[in-house]
This record gives sequence, C-alpha cells and structure tokens, in this order.
Amino acid sequence: MSEQDFGDLARRDTERHLLLAVDESENSKRAVMYVADFFSGNPDVFVTLLSIIPEPTDDFFPTEEKRQQWLTEQKKAMDRALANYKGILLSAGLKEEQIEVRLIIRHCTSIGDAILEEQAKLRCCIVVVGRRGITRNEEFLFGSTSNRILHHATHCAVMIVE
Amino acid sequence: MTTQPAAPLQQADIKELIAKHGGADRVPSHFKIITDTSDFFKIEYNDVVLLDNVPYWMKRCEKEGRFGLDDEPKFWVRRAIELPTGATRILKLVFYEEFKTVIAGVKMTCFRSPKKEARLLDLVAGHKNFMHGRWVLDAAGNNVRILEFIRGPRFDDVITGYGSNHHDYFHKYFPQVLDHFIELVQSIKFLHDQGEKHGDIRRDHIIWDEATQVNRWIDFDYNFQQGESLFSFDMQGLGNILIFLVGRGDVLVPDLYHKQRALFDTLWGEDLSIAYKNRVANLKKIYPYIPDSLNRILLHFSYGANIFYENTDQILEDLGLAREDMISLTGRQL
Repeated sequence: MSEQDFGDLARRDTERHLLLAVDESENSKRAVMYVADFFSGNPDVFVTLLSIIPEPTDDFFPTEEKRQQWLTEQKKAMDRALANYKGILLSAGLKEEQIEVRLIIRHCTSIGDAILEEQAKLRCCIVVVGRRGITRNEEFLFGSTSNRILHHATHCAVMIVE
Repeated sequence: MTTQPAAPLQQADIKELIAKHGGADRVPSHFKIITDTSDFFKIEYNDVVLLDNVPYWMKRCEKEGRFGLDDEPKFWVRRAIELPTGATRILKLVFYEEFKTVIAGVKMTCFRSPKKEARLLDLVAGHKNFMHGRWVLDAAGNNVRILEFIRGPRFDDVITGYGSNHHDYFHKYFPQVLDHFIELVQSIKFLHDQGEKHGDIRRDHIIWDEATQVNRWIDFDYNFQQGESLFSFDMQGLGNILIFLVGRGDVLVPDLYHKQRALFDTLWGEDLSIAYKNRVANLKKIYPYIPDSLNRILLHFSYGANIFYENTDQILEDLGLAREDMISLTGRQL
C-alpha cells in the first residue's frame, strides 16, 4: 500500500492527527462527542474516524452467500454509524477537510492490534477509543480492546473515554 | 438420507471386507450402504457409509462428556471400521448444534463448525500433539471428518493416579507433568501463530496416546464469535488445566469447608478461580511448597488477577521460570 492511499501524510504529521476508533456502541458515540467537544476549535486537528469489522472465517456460516450477506449488513450498519459520527464532528465545528472516514473489513486476531496497525500506518499521534465497560470476567474470556491499546500502543498518546 | 440400493457385487465386496476384518460370523445379513449422511439418526449399527468410495462399517456412537451429559450418545460421532484397512476410525458427521452457555458468569453462544475442524485437521496434519484425520464431502456435500482413533486414557485421568498424596505427586511426578503441559501449550501456540484457535480447551480434550507416548489435543469443532482477542478463551482453558494439574485435581471450596476448615478460613474470594468460583486457584495457600514462580502463573487465572495472559508466549515464558524452580525444588533434571 502506498502512502498516497492515506492522503498527504507529510502535511498531517505537522498537524494533530487523531485516530478515533469506533464501533456502533454508545461508548463510541461518547468518544466522538468528547473529541468533538475537546478538539473542534483547533484548525490543525485532523481526525480519522476508523472502524474495523473483523472478517469472520467461512466456518461461521453455512454458505459463502450467508457470509457475504452478513458482511454487507455489518458494513451498511457501520457506514450509517460513521456518517452519524462524522455529522457530530461537523456540527461541532470541524471542517469537512479535517475528517477522513475509514471502514476496514479484515481478518484480525485482535481488534486492538488492528487499530494500532492503522495508527502506525497513518502516523496518528493520538488514538481515541471509548471504553465499553465490560466486566473483568468478560475481559478474562474475550479480552478488552481499550486495554490492549493502552498496553501496546507505541509512539502515540492514548485517550480512553469512559 | 439417500439409501443406495447396493448392487449384488458391491454387497458381496463389502461382505468380503467385513469378513476379512471382523470374521465371517460377524458379517451382517442386512445393512444399508449410505452415501448421504445428512440424517445421521438413520445410520444404524452395521450399516456401511461410503465416503470418497471408501466403505466405513459403522459401529457404536461416541459418548458426550460435557455439562453433566456423561454417557449421552453423540449420534453424529460414530466409531467405524475402515474396511479396506481394518483400522478403527471416528466419523464426525455434520451437526449444526448451537447452544448458549455461561462461563465465569458470561453468557456466550457456541456452535459446532465442521468447516473449522476440517481446516484445523489440515493444519495440524503431522503435528504430534493433535489428533489426525482427513475430511471428505459426502454425496450431499456434508463435511465428514474421518479421524484416526487414539488409544489411551485422558491426560487428567493419568495424572490423578500419580503419587500417594499431593506432596508425593508434586515432588516425584509434577516436574514431568509440567513438561507435558508446556508441550501442550506450545502446540496451542502453533495454532495461534497460524491465526487459529482450538476453541474448546478442556482437560478431557487431551488424550495420552499410548502408542506415541505424547499428549494429543482432540475436538476442534467448537466455535464462537470472539470479542477483542481470538486467543483469550483458549488462554482461560489452559489456565483451568494448569490449576488442575498443579492441584492433582480440582481443589474445591466445599471440600475444604467440610474437611479442612482451617485452610478454608485462610481463603479470600481473590484466591478462587475466575472461571469456576468453587475452585481454588491460589494453590500455594493449600500446598505451601509450590514455588512462587508457578503460583504466580495460577494467580493470573484467579479472581484477584489484575492482568491476564494475552497469548501463549507470555505464559510459556513464565512456565519456563517455573520449570527451573521445579528443578531446584525437586533436584530432578527434567
């Protein structure tokens, strides 16, 4: 993948490039509202709204058609959520050219790692995520994306919005 | 189910093969030749299932050992004789079971995935610590897994027979048990490194192969939508097994309450297993000679844990330290 795929990276390095990683949850919405409230007055800020849909292997579905149907539905729902989130940022005063939306469907063993890979590629200086507030037992069984990012992020700041 | 009317020659061929491997007196007078296994309830004892043109002489159902369903027949898992070779095989037929379960107070939906198991069988072919087999599509496109039969007891049944008491077990046998466990974790790492999970890591899914003298993981067909990490659920399974191995069985809170009240009184909630609250994870409180390095691993799976293992590399590193301390403690060069 070439750098051109990410726009003018050199320019963005001089700005404050936030990676706002979201899903459809209320916690993500809170994180978006926090960023909108906190950074909207700053013309140097650039926000990448990122959502990652973990691509399930074919064994989750009886047929490939069902798998594609599931992916299409997930993508449609996430496109809708991303449009809403972008609307929140715009209404807070951020300009169209300060926002990029990225929806990635990919296989990943850890969503947190996939977010951090994007952070590294895009050279974002801050990663912002909402905290789902899962129980410790849920974290034990399935892991926690915000904890994963908090413990493994390098060369960037991490904001976890409760 | 498609019951293929067997041509006399076919029947005769199959009867000849049955006579060769089972004895002439065991050749059934009537049996069906089946090529579509969709309705597995209709496959009866002594029927012959043709898969990829190989005839399998069907025998009994295997038994379910999960959730207190001991001895419940699993009609989709059948023992069979592969007639051309006479080898015993396990045939796993397609059964799209989906069920909800609660682990550590967390509800989750699990389901059986023949495709996942088939994919993993390809992946672990030749790996000594996994069951082996192949998969074929039957006449209706069902993914049937044909597994090699492993002769031997369950690993957990083996280790509970070691030693006259825990002290004896821990000092004489546990160093070797620990080495076996490390090998099992390394084999799960092999799966994780390929982006795959076992999905149902339980102590009754490890068979001690008497022929090869190694432990082998079985049953990879469970699947579930994971959350953040693909590996966390496997990690908790490994933790439960380690707690069992270190304790020479589960150390149960009710047993301590009734039989060793003084020990019971030393326990706090944080000492218990996060997955099963009636089991003690902080086993050093029960058996003080357990090295700290080993007990610290167990504490990662306790209710008081502040941090959990995310991957096999992390626990393998700690197991290496525990192994060294076991050598120092027991004087046994492993």
